[in-house]
Amino acid sequence: MSDDDLALPAFAPPPLGAELEAELRAVKPVATRNPLRQLAVLFGASIVYGAGVLALVSTRPDMGELPMMWMAGGAIAWALGFVVPLYLAVVPAAGSMMPRRQLAAGAAITAAVLFVMMGMMIHPHGPSSLQYNAERFPDGHPCLELGLATAIVPVILGALFLRRALPVSSRWIAAALGAGGGSLGGLVLHFHCRVTDPMHTGFIHAGVVTVAALLAALLVPRATDVR
Amino acid sequence: MARYCDGDASAFRELYAAVSPQLYGYLVKMARSKALADDLLQQTFLKVHRARAAYVRGADPLPWIYAIAHRTFIDEVRKGKRAKVNIGDGDDLPEIAADIRGDAVDAKDEPRVDPELLASTLDALAGLPDQQREAVVLTKLEGKSVSEAAEIAGTSVGAMKVRAHRGYEALRKLLGGRAKVKEAS
Repeated sequence: MSDDDLALPAFAPPPLGAELEAELRAVKPVATRNPLRQLAVLFGASIVYGAGVLALVSTRPDMGELPMMWMAGGAIAWALGFVVPLYLAVVPAAGSMMPRRQLAAGAAITAAVLFVMMGMMIHPHGPSSLQYNAERFPDGHPCLELGLATAIVPVILGALFLRRALPVSSRWIAAALGAGGGSLGGLVLHFHCRVTDPMHTGFIHAGVVTVAALLAALLVPRATDVR
Repeated sequence: MARYCDGDASAFRELYAAVSPQLYGYLVKMARSKALADDLLQQTFLKVHRARAAYVRGADPLPWIYAIAHRTFIDEVRKGKRAKVNIGDGDDLPEIAADIRGDAVDAKDEPRVDPELLASTLDALAGLPDQQREAVVLTKLEGKSVSEAAEIAGTSVGAMKVRAHRGYEALRKLLGGRAKVKEAS
């Protein structure tokens, strides 16, 4: 069987339906999507909001006791976790309207896994740092809440910018929005929280990324799906 | 698409005239019912119209429109309404075949297709699972590349390759089996 055996003639489509005709009679100009401008607004608003949250809750008292390289390196990692998934979720490839599903999904999963590993493996502490460990692990829930509260703005803005834009793959794109927002939450926690045990940093600080990605994947497609 | 987003309704009609023949063909092959494909085509363009603000100037809207058609079809199947009844039952085959004989697009330029071959091809397509049928329709009948088909269906290139290969093999067996039955009779 060759491809030619499958060749079928074109089908004659029906004329425009009455509902479409009625909508066309009232058609108005709309502002089209400009992904790079949306990304700039998304980054700007999210960073201002994240900085505001950090100013509200204060910076960690042990910051001066920790290695500067670790503070800077951790901040860069969290910032990359914020920038890369959001960029891939909001900006399609040149000449395309379709989301970059695979890359966005990969970025969301990578962020979720790498931050847990980073938190579990690298956790320097100073005299003013706290160690909750397993006994006081549940006491860390305010960090999860703070991280998720920080993630709200990038996720909501991303959902608004992608409103009715995604016919397929919306869950993965939403997960990338959540991972990006969760990473901003992680960045705020990096400068705020002085609890340095591996369970807290690995599962709660990095857990913000996973939880935000899962929540976004669950809720955001209601706004971003083409309906 | 840009003119249409600027409020030019005639540009939408041009878009419809340019895109709807191939999109309709895709939907007929997927839904296996001309009436359902009519409905899905209207729904698809209504969604395109309502989501036109998502257009990115300078971008190719065709894969996006195809993806909307794909999603519309999948939603219809999930609803378990007409699609579930019609897919695979072959009730509409004579109608589709007759239609193609009667008013195929550019019929004057196209060689006439054997209605029996057409019916058996569509019938065999209907025997495939939804995902394999879509992979075969997009890559073999609609002329999309594997990566374009994967983008439209919202899946990975690897998964689309596997679906297309399995679908094509299954279709080959189905069509081969029918040819043998026909020869024997």
